[in-house]
Amino acid sequence: MNILRKWRFWSAFLILFFCYFTIKPNFYENNSSNKINYGLDIQGGSSFLLELSEEVFKNNLLLKIASQLDLDYDLNSSINNGKIEIDSTQDLTKLTNLVLQSMGLTLNKKTEFISIIDIENQFFKKSISDMTLNAVEIIRSRVDFLGNKELSIQKTGLNRILLEIPGSLNQNVKEIISKTAKLNFHIEKNSFVDTILLENSETNESIRVMARPSLTGDYLQDASMQYDNNSPVVSFSLNKAGADIFGDLTAKNVGKRIAIVLDGTLISAPVVRNSITGGAGVISGNFSNEEANNLAIILKSGSLPTDISIIQEKQVGPSLGKEGVTKGVYASIIALIAITIFMIAYYKISGLFTAISIITCLLLLFSIMSLMNATLTLPGVIGIVLTIGMCVDANVLIYERIKENFLNNSDDPKNSGFNSAFITILDSNLTTLFAAIFLFAFGFGPIRGFSISLIIGIFSSLIVTYVVLKLFLEIVPIDKTGLKIK
Amino acid sequence: MIDFFKYRKLSYMASSFFIVMTVIFILFKGLNLGIDFKGGFNVEVRSDLNNQELTDIFSRIDTSREVIVKREISSNVYSIRMESGVDDKLFLDAVKDKISNLTNIEILMSEYIEPTFSDDLIQNSIYALLSSIFVIALYVWIRFDWQFAFAGILALLHDVVLSIGFMSIFNIEFNLTMIAAILLIAGYSINDTIVLFDRLRTLSSQEDIKIDLPSMINSSISLNLRRTILTSFTTILALVCLVVLAPVNLTEMPIVFIFGVLIGTYSSIFLGLPIISSLNYESVLKSRDS
Repeated sequence: MNILRKWRFWSAFLILFFCYFTIKPNFYENNSSNKINYGLDIQGGSSFLLELSEEVFKNNLLLKIASQLDLDYDLNSSINNGKIEIDSTQDLTKLTNLVLQSMGLTLNKKTEFISIIDIENQFFKKSISDMTLNAVEIIRSRVDFLGNKELSIQKTGLNRILLEIPGSLNQNVKEIISKTAKLNFHIEKNSFVDTILLENSETNESIRVMARPSLTGDYLQDASMQYDNNSPVVSFSLNKAGADIFGDLTAKNVGKRIAIVLDGTLISAPVVRNSITGGAGVISGNFSNEEANNLAIILKSGSLPTDISIIQEKQVGPSLGKEGVTKGVYASIIALIAITIFMIAYYKISGLFTAISIITCLLLLFSIMSLMNATLTLPGVIGIVLTIGMCVDANVLIYERIKENFLNNSDDPKNSGFNSAFITILDSNLTTLFAAIFLFAFGFGPIRGFSISLIIGIFSSLIVTYVVLKLFLEIVPIDKTGLKIK
Repeated sequence: MIDFFKYRKLSYMASSFFIVMTVIFILFKGLNLGIDFKGGFNVEVRSDLNNQELTDIFSRIDTSREVIVKREISSNVYSIRMESGVDDKLFLDAVKDKISNLTNIEILMSEYIEPTFSDDLIQNSIYALLSSIFVIALYVWIRFDWQFAFAGILALLHDVVLSIGFMSIFNIEFNLTMIAAILLIAGYSINDTIVLFDRLRTLSSQEDIKIDLPSMINSSISLNLRRTILTSFTTILALVCLVVLAPVNLTEMPIVFIFGVLIGTYSSIFLGLPIISSLNYESVLKSRDS
């Protein structure tokens, strides 16, 4: 008994020390990683949720696989309904299950006319997940080039990217993150066979070119904005292989026009004057400074393997959050005072224990949040106020049980009352915890902050009740008439 | 001691009536879905203009979009919702462009959600609700008996449905925050019920006292009545502070939660425990004795 009390005493001290040292970094302007993060809804800033198109990615992947099959196994395959189809009259003996498996494919259906091959689900999931991770780096590099230093970017789900930028937003961000940045060079061809017509509505330029690009942006090494006769242009350089192709291409097509196409849109179509062997070129096209700079950035960072779109965006000014936090702090303080007054009026000295428990509980909540580098959002502030409510509930349950034990003249009323009530508290808090965990798992944005506050709040409340409140109940002598000092 | 058990038929009837009315009401009136679940645009502005003036200004930006202006409780902050349509990509920038020219409107926050993404959010919210309820039921079943789990979940669903009805009746915007509120109401409801269950289990396991189930239910409720009232009272006290002082666009969450606390208190006393007796729990106790 005595040992346990001693243990509690020192634990309570330990908690206070722990709180002091973990909360302290929050008050210093340093880059300690153990600080509470403020969500964008509090500090102001922008967030973008980007989605990479699964469909386009699958199509590109299928094209790649099909051409590989054709090349390696001498086949003539076509793509239909998101699957590879091969005429069964062809020699398929070399395409064993083992070969298919190594390429991440499965034989979907085989009749005497046709074989349908599909990408294996697991393999596809992994490919798309890898692709997203790759895209995260590309987007990060793009936004970095614009000079945003404190951005946070992460993959969420299979094919989504969450980008968060605190502070005011550079208007170019939206422009550069929503571009695939697929650069293609098409040679002019005046025929209706295998050609496409490209048009630029701004410059009224139009050109009929070969449908297949002669050179793609995959060979790009670098790009930068420069000035040509005082108008901004984008100069680019190709790697060795690209330079060879480009040299060859320009040599063969002197006098023809070459269309420079970005994400399917014609930028310009200059005439090839002579062969370009160094692998360096210039894209001009009525750019403003910003446009040229954005283009250089996205070309430099590389293209995305699929289409990208912004499916959610949010921009929060700084005033809303600050006001919200101030109000939340006032709400907490007033709630704390009101509850303390009520509890002291009702439970006398034990009401004071409740107030001390609540304060310790809040300290512990902040300290765990700092330690975990958790994010506090505006709904999270509500979660904190509800933590006060849970802490009070635990106290009330214990006091009522102890009172009852006093009335029933049981032996050791305080201890047995505390213990039986604590089981109830565990039961009831655990169910709230389940709800909070599922909210975290399925939630999005600031709502996650709410569940984080709530989850940590539940743990803090349990720990404080078990250590601090019990300590007070043990060392302060109280009696049955409303738990007053004897 | 108050005979709570006596009122069970009345409470069953009243609750069933309200549930049916709520479901009918929701079916006819629907929910005031926010952009989280419908997609579209939401702009929070501070302005001294009135509702109609703001509606006019925002409608003029793109006449094809429906505009709903709502004033946040006791503030000069307005939430302006605009539906999703063609050319969503550039619309938010167009809105900001237009509004930044006006000196009497300050944009505090702007948000766009693509309708396909809001479909995902609906799906995730349903998953969150169902899995929470499932795990809570499982936990109560493991810790108590299946009758307790059944009764607890019934009371919980009752609270959740009525809370959603409350939002529908008062035209409260149904968004992700409200999903959080509903989950919390579910947690609170089962929390309240479990405390009573614990009491009932303790009473029914005491060998020396042999009393019938209705009396045990009554004394479980009576013994815990003070706790139930005190906890509800202090929780509502904290929530009222939040209603008065909540971050401006979050005032509705504590209001819904206050309703949830009240209805949860009622349901644990008048539904949770009495339902157990209706589930033939008495025979379980008898077979345990013999």
